Amino acid sequence: MGQRRKVAAVNTHPSQRDIGASTDAPRVHNRKHNICMVSDFFYPNMGGVESHIYQLSQCLIEKGHKVVVVTHAYDKRKGVRYLTNGLKVYYLPLQVMYNQSTATTCFHSLPLLRCVFVREHITVVHAHSSFSAMAHDALFHAKTMGLNTVFTDHSLFGFADVSSVLTNKLLTVSLCDTNHIVCVSYTSKENTVLRAALNPEIVSVIPNAVDPTDFTPDPSQRQDGRITIVVISRLVYRKGIDLLGGIIPELCLKHPDLHFLIGGEGPKRIVLEEVREKYQLHDRVRLLGALEHKDVRGVLVQGHIFLNTSLTEAFCMAIVEGASCGLQVVSTRVGGIPEVLPEDLITLCEPSVRSLCAGLETVIAQHRSGSVPSPSSIHARVRNLYTWRNVAERTEKVYDRVAREEVLPLDRRLRRLRAHCGPVAGSIFAFIAVLDFLFLVLLQWLVPDQVMDIAVDATGPLGLWRREATSKREGYSKQQETQ
Amino acid sequence: MEDEAFTDISGKPITLDCQNHSSFCREFTVSSPKVSIGKVMVYTCAVWLFAYAVFFFTQITAVLSGAILITLVGMMFHIHFVKVDHESLLVIGSLGIQVSSSYASGREITTFIEMSKIKDIIINEAIYMHQIIYYLCVLLKDPSEPNAVSSVVPLFQSSKPRLNCLVKVYKSCQEILSKSQ
Amino acid sequence: MVLKVFFPQCCNRADSGLLVGRWITGHDSAVVLAVIHYPFIPGQVKRYIQQMQAQSGVELSVLGSWSLPKEGQEGMESFLRDLSTIFPQERWLQISREIGKTGFICEIMSQNGKKVQQEAKNKSVEEEKDTGLGDGEKEDEEKVIFVHYEQRKVMLSQLHPTETGDHDPKSEPPSELRQMFQTVAQSKPLFFLDKYDDGPLKSTHWQSEGREASIIVELLKQATVPLCLLVTWLLSIWTWICNIKIFSFWPLHFLSSKLSTCVQLSYRTEHMRILSSPKPAVGHTQFMRKANILVSFLVDVALGILLMSWLYRDNHVSVLANTLVPVADHVAKELEELLQWLMGAPAGLKMNRALDQVLGRFFLYHIHLWISYIHLMSPFIEGILWYGGLSACLGLTFALSLLSDMVALLTFHIYCFYVYGARLYCLKIYGLSSLWRLFRGKKWNVLRQRVDSCSYDLDQLFIGTLLFTILLFLLPTTALYYLVFTLLRLVVVLFQGILHLSVDFINSFPLFALGLRICRPYRLAEGVKFSVLCEEPGTALHLLMEINPLKGSTVVQTYRTPTYSCYPRDSWAALIKKLFVGELIYPWRHKTTKTD
Repeated sequence: MGQRRKVAAVNTHPSQRDIGASTDAPRVHNRKHNICMVSDFFYPNMGGVESHIYQLSQCLIEKGHKVVVVTHAYDKRKGVRYLTNGLKVYYLPLQVMYNQSTATTCFHSLPLLRCVFVREHITVVHAHSSFSAMAHDALFHAKTMGLNTVFTDHSLFGFADVSSVLTNKLLTVSLCDTNHIVCVSYTSKENTVLRAALNPEIVSVIPNAVDPTDFTPDPSQRQDGRITIVVISRLVYRKGIDLLGGIIPELCLKHPDLHFLIGGEGPKRIVLEEVREKYQLHDRVRLLGALEHKDVRGVLVQGHIFLNTSLTEAFCMAIVEGASCGLQVVSTRVGGIPEVLPEDLITLCEPSVRSLCAGLETVIAQHRSGSVPSPSSIHARVRNLYTWRNVAERTEKVYDRVAREEVLPLDRRLRRLRAHCGPVAGSIFAFIAVLDFLFLVLLQWLVPDQVMDIAVDATGPLGLWRREATSKREGYSKQQETQ
Repeated sequence: MEDEAFTDISGKPITLDCQNHSSFCREFTVSSPKVSIGKVMVYTCAVWLFAYAVFFFTQITAVLSGAILITLVGMMFHIHFVKVDHESLLVIGSLGIQVSSSYASGREITTFIEMSKIKDIIINEAIYMHQIIYYLCVLLKDPSEPNAVSSVVPLFQSSKPRLNCLVKVYKSCQEILSKSQ
Repeated sequence: MVLKVFFPQCCNRADSGLLVGRWITGHDSAVVLAVIHYPFIPGQVKRYIQQMQAQSGVELSVLGSWSLPKEGQEGMESFLRDLSTIFPQERWLQISREIGKTGFICEIMSQNGKKVQQEAKNKSVEEEKDTGLGDGEKEDEEKVIFVHYEQRKVMLSQLHPTETGDHDPKSEPPSELRQMFQTVAQSKPLFFLDKYDDGPLKSTHWQSEGREASIIVELLKQATVPLCLLVTWLLSIWTWICNIKIFSFWPLHFLSSKLSTCVQLSYRTEHMRILSSPKPAVGHTQFMRKANILVSFLVDVALGILLMSWLYRDNHVSVLANTLVPVADHVAKELEELLQWLMGAPAGLKMNRALDQVLGRFFLYHIHLWISYIHLMSPFIEGILWYGGLSACLGLTFALSLLSDMVALLTFHIYCFYVYGARLYCLKIYGLSSLWRLFRGKKWNVLRQRVDSCSYDLDQLFIGTLLFTILLFLLPTTALYYLVFTLLRLVVVLFQGILHLSVDFINSFPLFALGLRICRPYRLAEGVKFSVLCEEPGTALHLLMEINPLKGSTVVQTYRTPTYSCYPRDSWAALIKKLFVGELIYPWRHKTTKTD
């Protein structure tokens, strides 16, 4: 593996060769990385992981790194596309199995991923989300190819039921030789360390962020004479929509001036629709359906209270957005939520209808008495809590640290797998790792690395994007030719 | 007229032949290597040996004649429909672009695209089988919207040259196109 | 800019003279159509061109001069240049060719003809002296491409995709090549001037060589007019009969829409109406449509007569009739045995005995009825076949449609069984699905088209669950009957589907277009292809334009006559779903078809 990297270093552009030579020099922190973000979840799919990857990539590009994103094909969106600032996205044609996650066989994604890693001169592979099979595949292959790996976990898991036992085992295998793991909150870190039996020292906490300029308060949008509760989340079980269905009739009976504004779409929408019809609350509960990210602020500023009913959450971006728009936040006390906001900005309740109702009642009472802080003061406090630049800086440090570490060669990797993951699972996955290595050797024999064309850089130290921003090559939407 | 050696995406050597007919008319021909006798022999022998093995156990002579027929028909099919001997691109300034590919049997498929329909020639990236490759393609204009692209015509589809070869063709194509527009 | 000159190949060796053709506006290209030789009187040339312009509707003009110097002709240069003042044009081409050389030399003079410069190496160059810019330092090089074309082929060929009717003035003008093809095709009157005519003008261009054949064609055209009138008269009588009120009453109307013979009859009537219209076909598509219909009609009738000659030789009809009745009998016997098997324990399955017996007896009675019906019919079958065979003289398609109808009538019992089985099965499936919802405390909301939750009474739940259980346990028996009869039905449907497909195939296959593609490939052009003629260094670029014929598959696609089978039909998945929920399937063409 070391040999392969040396060959690659010789082939690269002169400045990159300088960088390669300076690996051992003290100026390590100046080094620019070629980062490959891998996840099943990326735009046009919407959600927290997607915007995290996008924002982080943009900030890293701004810092002069080269970033490419790899995800699976979404419907007709296949092939190679460019986003803002030359962020290159590979939509690989892999079969989607369930919930936008690809099917994994541990092997079939290797040829395409290898092609991406080789042609883009990737040095760090950064995988996101433990739900994403593609991210785990990419970690596995990257380790086989001798690349440094980082993993970001965005969600919490249980320990009790059969499915979590299995997923936790897989996570253990996947993370046991990953160089570094990033979690979004301390709760999440604790959870991940326990689940994957990790050494806590290689786990960092870097919270998510919001763009504060996008979420500014505007009290003039609020309607006088009524109190509006805003809920913005996907309407799924994990987000506690059944709780919401219990809260709505109870509070609406007590407070005739209470209105609900619910944005989002999902299988649990029918629960809310039935509640609305049963209690005839059509004028007071508005279901807005799926919202685009740019419309979220327009909905948030119409409300007084932001309600979050999640049953499990690693780091809740929605409540930060709500607070940034100057709303009073009421949330369940689950996962990493208590860490996110200072205590006086958030009212925490137990995840039950009664407790949430009580919490909402107190906030409504505060509102009526006028003892809540003004929206602009809340915004001023939240504004500098979480910014993407900060996240990018901290992530960059992780990359610097990872780049200094060595990637385990195959023999030590096998030993570690067997020592770390138990005799049965460890042996199975050690066998799979050997097969993966042999498959890689076969691919290298079929299509040698030097036959692959090196991709034209759009970003990074030699990026062509800014210099030729008007060049016609990049402007066209990329189409794919599948034969 | 000049010949240069390049390789295609799987590392096989191909040759690019640029012919300058005049300052605004150029022809590029990418030729793949010919059908190698060795390969033909290997395939033929494999089929015949298999047929002989079947014949040995079943004693049906029709198997042998069938094998001969299969190799002949397979060979004809291969050189007539599969094996592309060379592909050429004729760029005539202000008239259009002609794309033709000729098979090993001499069959030739030609399409001519008028200049008024062409928006541009670009190098694009695509996922092909289990690789990500660069390819050259012609963008066609949408007649209703002059700025939109209605479809894409990939060039050198069967020989698939590597980037350095494509860049060479791309540059001289752009030279002609920019003159005539 | 590059100037394109489309030059006919037949004028390569023409004597010196004037080039007649057309400038294509907006594209910087000229189409040369003919060469008018010396000597001529300029006034006559002008009159001739005006006359031609009126006849063809093409903006013809004198493009320039052509010179092919022969021995002893010197000093033409100045004379040719003077000609441009006689025929004032914006640009004046002066094309010349030297003996022994293949390349042409072209000079272009602008309107005022102030300055024409020719490069030393014969390269045609015009240096435009822009009076406004003084001494014209800006050298606007004008290059020339000669595109040689074969005038006859270009004139006769039709560029695809064909244009529909009038050109919409709002959209873009047609492309350069299309304009060029149109120009050549429209200037047919120009080509009528024979080279042996003793007129005042002599010219070189493509000339038809088969005058005699074209006279015969004209005579034939005249002869078809009374024939068309006769057919129209017959058709009007036929449509009058068809429109009599009796036929529009419900049972007859319904029957005739389902019998494929009647469908075929109305279809053929429509075809004949198209063919017999006395107006000549306007436009290429209509002409091709007519020709295709005529050719497929003739082929159809020829095949039908072949079939007839086979049927009535050696008494094949009675042989067929004698085998048909035993076959029907045999089928009924087999069905009876199948039912007996189903009433026992088929394939070792344990059925609900009571329901099984009821269903089995019901079907057995049907078969009994059917057998007696067949025996009643048997003396007449030979007669029916004999007269039915006569329909083959109308075409093979009629015979096939009749066969399909007869099969449908002879397997009516299978159809009945299938319908009973399917209805029963369908009912059970619907009942089960709604009771399953009740079981889960849900119900189907018809207004909102979705499943709502609903709270039921205890009684309702009790009855519902009871019914659900009963239906669930009776389902296998019904499902087995349904399965067996559906398979039988599918066999029949498959056979009828094949017959319908072959009828459709004969009706819609574009035989004429395909024949044209094989014998005269240039008539249907997909586009053009260019090849570089070997050029001498220094002269302008010479290209040879050839016509790229349409692909066979495209010909079939474009010219097939539209029939029912061209419409989108159900996919396989939809068919399987229909079979699964027990909806009825039909072989009729406008419903789903099982075979493709």
